[in-house]
Amino acid sequence: MSTRDTDHQLELMQGTLDLLILQTVALGRAHGHAIARSIERRSGEALQVGHGSLYPALQRLLKLGLITAEDGISENNRKARFYRLTAKGRKQLFTEASKWQKFSNAIARILAPVAEENP
Amino acid sequence: MFGWNNRRNQLLQEFETHIEIETLENIESGMSPDEARQAARKKFGNVLLAAEESRAIWGGLWLERMLQDVRYAVRSLRGAPAYTATLVCTLVLGLGSVTIMLAIIESILIRPVALPHSEQLVQIYSEDGPDGFSASSHALSYKVIDELQRSTHSFADVSGYNTMVRPVTASDGTRITVLTEVTAEFFPMLGVKAKLGRLIGPADAKAGVVVVSDEFWRERLHADPRAVGSAIKVSGQLRTVIGVMPAGFHAPQGTGESVVYLPVSFHSSGEDDFMIESALTIARLKLGVSGQQALADAGNVFAHADRKSGERYRRLAMRSYRDLVVGDMERPLLTLLGGVGVLLLIACANAANLQIGRAASRMPEMKTRSALGASFGRLLQQLITESILVSLFGAALGGALSYAAIEAVRHAYGKQFPRFDELSVQPVVLVCTGVLAVLVGVIASIAPMLNIRRQTNARFHSKSVTWKSRLPGILVAFQVALTCVLLVISGLFVRTLQSLQNVKLGFDPRGVTTLVLMPEQQNQDPELSREIETRLLRRFETLPGVQSVTMQTEVPFSSYNMVLDGTTEVSGRAFHQGDSAFYSMVSANFVRTSGIRLLKGRNFVADEDASSAMEVLVNEAFLKKYIGGQEPLGASVRFHRNPGETDADLPFIQPMTIIGVVENEIQGADLGAPYQPMVYLDYMQLPKGSLLGAVFSMTAQYAVRSPLAPSVLASELRAAVTKEAPTMVEMNLRSMEDGIAKSLGQRRLALRLVAGFGVIALVLSAVGIYGVLAYSVALRRREIGIRMALGSTRGKAAGLVMRQAGRMALLGLIPGVAGAWAAGYAVRSFLYGVKTFDPAAVGVAGGTLVLVFAAAACLPAMRAVQVDPVETLRAE
Repeated sequence: MSTRDTDHQLELMQGTLDLLILQTVALGRAHGHAIARSIERRSGEALQVGHGSLYPALQRLLKLGLITAEDGISENNRKARFYRLTAKGRKQLFTEASKWQKFSNAIARILAPVAEENP
Repeated sequence: MFGWNNRRNQLLQEFETHIEIETLENIESGMSPDEARQAARKKFGNVLLAAEESRAIWGGLWLERMLQDVRYAVRSLRGAPAYTATLVCTLVLGLGSVTIMLAIIESILIRPVALPHSEQLVQIYSEDGPDGFSASSHALSYKVIDELQRSTHSFADVSGYNTMVRPVTASDGTRITVLTEVTAEFFPMLGVKAKLGRLIGPADAKAGVVVVSDEFWRERLHADPRAVGSAIKVSGQLRTVIGVMPAGFHAPQGTGESVVYLPVSFHSSGEDDFMIESALTIARLKLGVSGQQALADAGNVFAHADRKSGERYRRLAMRSYRDLVVGDMERPLLTLLGGVGVLLLIACANAANLQIGRAASRMPEMKTRSALGASFGRLLQQLITESILVSLFGAALGGALSYAAIEAVRHAYGKQFPRFDELSVQPVVLVCTGVLAVLVGVIASIAPMLNIRRQTNARFHSKSVTWKSRLPGILVAFQVALTCVLLVISGLFVRTLQSLQNVKLGFDPRGVTTLVLMPEQQNQDPELSREIETRLLRRFETLPGVQSVTMQTEVPFSSYNMVLDGTTEVSGRAFHQGDSAFYSMVSANFVRTSGIRLLKGRNFVADEDASSAMEVLVNEAFLKKYIGGQEPLGASVRFHRNPGETDADLPFIQPMTIIGVVENEIQGADLGAPYQPMVYLDYMQLPKGSLLGAVFSMTAQYAVRSPLAPSVLASELRAAVTKEAPTMVEMNLRSMEDGIAKSLGQRRLALRLVAGFGVIALVLSAVGIYGVLAYSVALRRREIGIRMALGSTRGKAAGLVMRQAGRMALLGLIPGVAGAWAAGYAVRSFLYGVKTFDPAAVGVAGGTLVLVFAAAACLPAMRAVQVDPVETLRAE
């Protein structure tokens, strides 16, 4: 069965998620759970990320060489995999973030809150 | 695959940690452990989905999709076992036959020629040969070969060789072995290296050395790694083994027999023991020299004025080494390959038809998938995967089948035909089959794919329209045509074999046993050999139960024949260039023993005085060619002396007087060959010291007529040889009838193969027509039901199906018969005693086809009869 149509939606989602992840690991190395928690918190719980969908995004970023992974011990003494931004990742984060900023400003200007017709 | 499992496990481990951390946090925030774990899991979402998606990112998704398609194909094929079994059987038969043929061709046509740059190797031979006296019409003298080597510029090397069989003694006793005498250039020219020791070179010209083939080393020298330096006896002379050839080296004969190679021993005259033109020539062209240039260059050798005049008229010809080794097998095998190609086409048409039927029944599934968003490409991939999967499975089974078949053929025919002992299925053949299978898979899925495309693109769901296509009918007609061709050709072969079995032999083979002997010492004095051989003849005559015995240098069906091809002049007739006859030496009892019919004149008289004129018998062909309507008896025959030749160049100068005319008898081993002019000479009358005597006493062939059982006679003969002439080695002992049966073997094998292909084609076509009709009836159930409801009878319903079958058969038979005519013309050189268009063969083939088709059409017709009109109407 084809996943033609759902693919488009996913891609948009992935792009966004990728950016959020890069932003998170830019602050220092972090394991999967910490990244998820951080995105949740910083977006004010508005962006509900299914924690599971974080991992395909991490794999993609690894493959693109934007982040690296290493084994380490978590704050509560668990063996975990830590992710860290690469130089290439930092550059990517900068371009993508500015692009996003422009895009978001443009959208914001078009979608200025309008009074509802039927209150 | 690609460490995916490890990475996947690592990932799952990571998920586990993630969930654990979340659980701990939940507990810290006050949840019960169970609750905490559950909440953590919920938050994480679908673990397996996350793993799958990550996995997709690692790449190789196309592979994953293909595996998915394969899994799906396996499942759906399992769901339709009847369809799958039919399709697989079809493909096994088609691909299996092709694999068998490819393996035979690879083993017999391609492998024996595998020498370094074999395309540069050529054989130089004398084209119009018999103006002079030669052992074989293709032979040259060593002198000429030497001259070719020295005074031409087109060849890197020119070498001569001569093959014979001789007794060879190793530690396991004396056995008759193939011997190849080679010149010093032979091995360097071929560009081969010894596996052990070294090869024969220029320094070995007079040395008592031999090189042996890998087979000889294994069978006779026990594969001893220290065999180099050991001694074997060749024709009673001790020789040192200096080298062993690598396995698979079968030059120049191309057969996998034990061969001993030894340097030619030249006399001071520059010729070998035979002293006539006896060597075959292989040369290697220089790089960039064309065959034409080389031939012109080689021809100049005869332009020198000092040549004998016979040679001055000589024209040389050249053919590739490949033609020399495999020339006789190439055409029959390629013809058979054409036959299996046809078979594969039939199988392919069948597969296409089966898939069209199946695609039609899967149309709802395809439409649903298309509606859900599956692209045409994705559906195509799925269908082709399924088709190729079945094809490859068929190829695998077909490969196994061919392996078994090749083993069987090798066991049955390995000893009988040259190179058949080398038969095997090589990996390269299997690769070819695999490629063919993929091709068949793709081609067979094109037609159903087009149907699906048309259907899925249709705007509305037309479930209740009877959908008809012409394509299946056309494919069946195509199969019928091809099957018809194969059946007619098999018919022609059967008729050929029958004609050959009824060929007039010209002699009476019943109760005749032939025995071939050879002196152990090759260079034994010819007079001594002749004396021993004559003594044996007398001894055989006195054996109890023996009616008569003769010696014959040319015995029908023997492979040890020595016959002189000599320029011949008949009194009262002007000599023409190219007048020649074959001369066979016999003894006085020849006519009586062989049972050949004496048409005119009288027999030889035993113990004639050798000083009187020589008396000869000639055959009908000689009579026809040289005597015409004149009185043959008393006519005089002599060897013709070409201008510039001296009497010493002739075998003898005495005139021969014709005393009788005998019926034509089979010459050589080919029942279908035309008769040649033949002169029978009593060898006792040969002038003393004649070259002929020396050459022909090298082997002695006896024919013994006796009513005794062959085994009893054989032991009597052997006992007599052991007692009377222990220095003679037995080369061959068999009954004449065995020899005749063997000579038909090759044609019989060809017949079996072609007939086998014909039967397979018939089965495939029957399956094909059945499939198409069954499918058509299934599609037309509604139509048939409505017809019946409107008053049509069951008989008419059956008639509907049978008519459809008849149309397809007819549509195929017409081009089939025309094709058979053309194919008959193409194989005409294999036919004997039957025309290329044989109405009887066509009739039988056509009749068989119609009968088989009627049987195949019966089942679908019965199903049509059983359609219940009430049921149809209820469904409306």
